Amino acid sequence: MSRRAAAVLVVLRKELTDALRDRRTLLTVLFSSVLMGPLVLVAISGLIASLESRAEQREVYVAGLANAPTLRNFLERQTYTVKEAPPGYEAELRKSRFSDPVVVVPADFEAMLARGEAPVVEIVSDSANQSSEASTGRIERLLGGFGRERAVLNIALRGVAVQLLEPIQIESHDLASTQTRATRITGMLPYFVMMAVLYGALTAALDTTAGERERGSLEPLLMNPTERWAIVAGKWGAVACVSMLIAVLSSFSFLPGQWVLRSDTLAAMFQYGLREALLFLVVLLPFAAALSALLMAMAIRCKTFKEAQANSTIVLLAVSLLPLVNVFNLGGEAPWHLWVPALAQNTLMTKVLKGEALGWAEMLIPLFVCVLLAAVSVWFVARMLRHAALK
Amino acid sequence: MIEISGLAKSFAVAASRPRGLGRFAHLTRKRVAPTVVHAVRDVSFTAPGGHITGLLGPNGAGKTTTLRMLAALITPDAERLLVDGIDVVARPREVLAKMGVLSDSRGLYARLTARENIVYYGALQGMEREAADARAQDLARMFDMTALLDRRTDGFSQGERMKTALVRALVHDPANIILDEPTNGLDVLATRALRDSLRWLRTPAGGSKCIVFSTHIMQEVERLCDSVVVVADGRTVASGTVPELLERTGESDFEEAFVKLAFAPAGDRAGDVREAP
Repeated sequence: MSRRAAAVLVVLRKELTDALRDRRTLLTVLFSSVLMGPLVLVAISGLIASLESRAEQREVYVAGLANAPTLRNFLERQTYTVKEAPPGYEAELRKSRFSDPVVVVPADFEAMLARGEAPVVEIVSDSANQSSEASTGRIERLLGGFGRERAVLNIALRGVAVQLLEPIQIESHDLASTQTRATRITGMLPYFVMMAVLYGALTAALDTTAGERERGSLEPLLMNPTERWAIVAGKWGAVACVSMLIAVLSSFSFLPGQWVLRSDTLAAMFQYGLREALLFLVVLLPFAAALSALLMAMAIRCKTFKEAQANSTIVLLAVSLLPLVNVFNLGGEAPWHLWVPALAQNTLMTKVLKGEALGWAEMLIPLFVCVLLAAVSVWFVARMLRHAALK
Repeated sequence: MIEISGLAKSFAVAASRPRGLGRFAHLTRKRVAPTVVHAVRDVSFTAPGGHITGLLGPNGAGKTTTLRMLAALITPDAERLLVDGIDVVARPREVLAKMGVLSDSRGLYARLTARENIVYYGALQGMEREAADARAQDLARMFDMTALLDRRTDGFSQGERMKTALVRALVHDPANIILDEPTNGLDVLATRALRDSLRWLRTPAGGSKCIVFSTHIMQEVERLCDSVVVVADGRTVASGTVPELLERTGESDFEEAFVKLAFAPAGDRAGDVREAP
């Protein structure tokens, strides 16, 4: 082993020991990143399960139930339980304390129906109350069915073919695979993983650069006959190791996370096995290494840890905002997405979740960008090191 | 053996930006040229092996800048900087391998033990870990800090930190030792222990080290140094042994002699400059 490689290893070993001794910070990051996956999944599956159970309950709340025995008869024949709406349901709906839309029937419903005067039936929901909004469509379809049945009966009595009522037939085909549909729900997982990697790298990156300056240990360090790039390479290696460790832990945390899914539908849709975890890692590891170097480059300019924390907010913001291009689906997927760090990783991980195949170009472009970013950052830190030691 | 002649270094210091509306003045007026600060104008001395050379000067005289140039942290503007005959600017790493520097900032890694701090520097100097560890043990005995070795440096006192930093600088047994105000923050006993150690390092048994040691404390120089280099305003203004300097200034008190040498108007002391022996 050459002397230079030995020097890199010496620095790497020391920085790793130093970082791993910072137990409190490390545990906080580990806890948040390892628990993040399962927690998010549990929260999502809880939400879906509650929607599913509401759909299974088959309940309809009607205000003025006594006015509409015909409607009640229809609803009960559709195996729905019909319940009288609670008093003050409008206020309850607004406060999200009541989570079902309410069908409001006018007092002269039956009389108007008999005269063929089309009584107005209102469906009261609150679009800010998400769970009531989710059931509105179901109630609309149900009332539509009641209307159709009435029409069919009236027409059939007059000897008209029922088919005339439906001159066209509508069939809808959903092209999305189960996994694609699931990414509408699990789409934020890559984002959480990336944030975990970022926070994993943050403390170590700042400590080995700005922290070293603040302690006054950088100047004596440079008075050793070790080449500057070897010192920087060792430091970068250690920071990258820590953030890669977080990447591995958070990628694999989704595996057990899957077992606690409460919604069967989601469990069926969310395909995350060993293959997906490994693909996540292929995408994340270069990103973790590049991010470590970038954070070090930001921090070496700062005299204190605190100043460096304030400066690294730019990186934090970039990593948290760029994937939003994807989330909001601005202009769909574009080739340039792959050239933007964070956005590229988000795109690729979303594809992995969708179960789509990743092409070589898709893998290599972000890798190239990460290598370039890391190289420039490490070069910058090495260049700044002597200057930084003196001030 | 350290030889320095005609050392000079100036820094460009950016003009401080005016506050308030004045900060927009640069939009209309010409840019203010950065001020040039001459930290070191002309420092020359020779420090032989087996000899303690004191670099004495008031605050801001350029002592720390001189030592930083010697440690290849700052590139000098004009110089001849030789350590054991090796040019510092041309071959900095070879020089650093022959030098142990206790610099102005002496930060330790708080989460590592004193031993780990010391062995880290030994490894960076290219030593085997076992050798560095054995050397740390020896030096710790010498500086009476064996009990500290396996404690994390987090709660160390000023003196304990100093000792650790000093042992760290000496771990590779360098022939040249440079100490920037080593007694700062040390109590009487620790200062005495340091003085004894330095005296021992000067002897053939201690390795006949070349020791250069900057300070602004007269007593240190009087008690310890074989020769003194007085630096003021970035220049070597006098050099020689303590009795020589006393004789030259016609003073019996070294403090008076120093004040005379360091703060005399430039014209008066020009004739005093001479090479150290």
